[in-house]
Amino acid sequence: MSDSILLKVDSIGFSINQNRLFHNLSFNLKKGKALHIKGNNGSGKSSLIRILLGITPAGKGSILWNKNTDICFLGHKNVLKNYLTLSDNLYIHGIDSNESKTKDILADLGLIKRLDTIVGNLSYGQQKKLALIRIFLNQAKVIILDEPCVGLDDSTRILTTKFLSSELKKNKSIIYTSHIPIDIDSETITLGGNQV
Amino acid sequence: MLKKLYHQFASPKTYIILVNKMYPYILYFSVLFYAFALVWGLGFAPADYVQGNSFRIIYLHVPASFLSQSLYIVMAIAAGIFLIWKVKLAAYMIKSIAPVGALVTFIALISGSIWGIPTWGTWWQWDARITSTLILFIMYLGLISLHSSFTNFEKADKFISVLVLIGFVNIPIIKKSVDWWSTLHQPASITLTNKPSIDPTMLYPLIFSMIGFSGIIVSLIILSSKVHIFKRESHKSWVKRNV
Amino acid sequence: MKLIFVEFFKLKMKLRAWLGPILIFLLIIISFPLTVELSSEALNDVFYSILWIASLLTIMVSVESIFLEDYEDGYLEYFYVANNSLFSLIFTKILIYWILIGIPISCLGTFFSINMSDDISSLNIALPSLLISTYIFINLFALGNSLSLNKGSALGALITIPLLFPILILLGKIVLNANFGFEISNLLLLMLGVLLLIIVFIPFIISFIIKTHLE
Repeated sequence: MSDSILLKVDSIGFSINQNRLFHNLSFNLKKGKALHIKGNNGSGKSSLIRILLGITPAGKGSILWNKNTDICFLGHKNVLKNYLTLSDNLYIHGIDSNESKTKDILADLGLIKRLDTIVGNLSYGQQKKLALIRIFLNQAKVIILDEPCVGLDDSTRILTTKFLSSELKKNKSIIYTSHIPIDIDSETITLGGNQV
Repeated sequence: MLKKLYHQFASPKTYIILVNKMYPYILYFSVLFYAFALVWGLGFAPADYVQGNSFRIIYLHVPASFLSQSLYIVMAIAAGIFLIWKVKLAAYMIKSIAPVGALVTFIALISGSIWGIPTWGTWWQWDARITSTLILFIMYLGLISLHSSFTNFEKADKFISVLVLIGFVNIPIIKKSVDWWSTLHQPASITLTNKPSIDPTMLYPLIFSMIGFSGIIVSLIILSSKVHIFKRESHKSWVKRNV
Repeated sequence: MKLIFVEFFKLKMKLRAWLGPILIFLLIIISFPLTVELSSEALNDVFYSILWIASLLTIMVSVESIFLEDYEDGYLEYFYVANNSLFSLIFTKILIYWILIGIPISCLGTFFSINMSDDISSLNIALPSLLISTYIFINLFALGNSLSLNKGSALGALITIPLLFPILILLGKIVLNANFGFEISNLLLLMLGVLLLIIVFIPFIISFIIKTHLE
């Protein structure tokens, strides 16, 4: 596999309870490129992402990640402990809330004053923002996001878009699904109906 | 070629066709066998000189306790086949055998209790064999409740196979340790382990009853596996044609 | 190493998950003597079996949701994506549970057993047996609860407890041998051997089971 291709997906298929979601799906992920997975509800977007992550085995075909490709993933679940404070949650993900870089992001998201709040007391949107901090601070080569913008306010969405396009410029790759449009350069894969 | 053969043999469809052909023979022969053994055992074999006529429940108790363990071994083999080669039929068989196994173990327990009243004077004795049979019964029920608590059958199949294998490794250990434990207590007056060597006139009907009883249980398993396979494969066209 | 700190921190901050079981252990230990005549020998006779059953029940209660929370908030998934294996996480979680629950109840149980029988050698019986057996209990209950996961702890207990009978019998034998003045170190070594086997295999099986849950 050449160095510029991080992921090679070859004619995979997947079905849940004999209900075929997609078949013969092939695509590549290149360095510095973004892939947008589109489709209606229940068309298998989340399943595809879980297959790419290696959590769910694909029924057919092959998925080849380039060696040493690390992935940063945010799905529907926020991976937050709701009995811990905000800074403790960051600690669990290996993020030091006293670092200046972290503080900048916390300030941008309006969470800087709430570092000692128990996460269970935050609103859904705030929790989502907190989960995004992990993405903003990651060092991985590939970012995979499943509906990152649900429940976010406009300013955070703009911030997310800005972040993602800056990551693309840093030659990182992104795979995402989103019903709320994110304004970055990306190839599209549509599930259910026309396939790439 | 080999792969094709194995696919054909292990497919639920071939299994159902094969079983449909064999089922009546197995059932009728085994019922006949068992009835014959019972008539022989209950009517013609002499009474035991210690236990009198009460020993005759042996023709139910021994086959049942024999099967309660061997069915678990069969399940363990099926579990291994399913986890290694991913043969679906093996998983269906585990699910179909488990309730039958529980039933057989229950019969063994109850018949043992009934036998205990005239021989030991009590229907329950903390004897090693009884205790390990009771544990086995609970393990069967655990398997059934585990499988039935999942809506995703494919996952449930994997879980039940793992649990069957864990139990399979553990059952000999449990049996050994329960034997070891029972020496804590005073030994039971008549234990099953030290039963007087059995007379041929009792042994032959016992062998017949074991064969007959096993056949009846096999046909029960066939029935339950048919129900289970039709349920699981209900979307397949061959099932729709056959039902 | 960092994993150990994080898991320790996660459990430590959840007071009800570790202090609760320790208190339940105390309550069980207290409630048994209430049902027998205090001055009688009966309590002395059954005290050790109370101890073993109490530790079993305590572990059962404490381990019931060992993986549930991490499963529901996506932590297990997150960990799997980052490390491509769950073994280290599961091994660490079990270890932390033992440190925060197993060791305290072992010490408490030993303390009460010294008070119970005036025989000071009970320290040599109760402490090592409790330390080893609680670790084994946690491992096996973790296994049962990984199978039942989000289907309720009763199912997990139902499939685990039969697997624990050999350990209970072994514990009974240890007390019996000690009462007769026999050597118990070989029995303790046997239990330690069981633990060493279990310590490697159980997390391995659990990671397979949890991986299947995540699919």
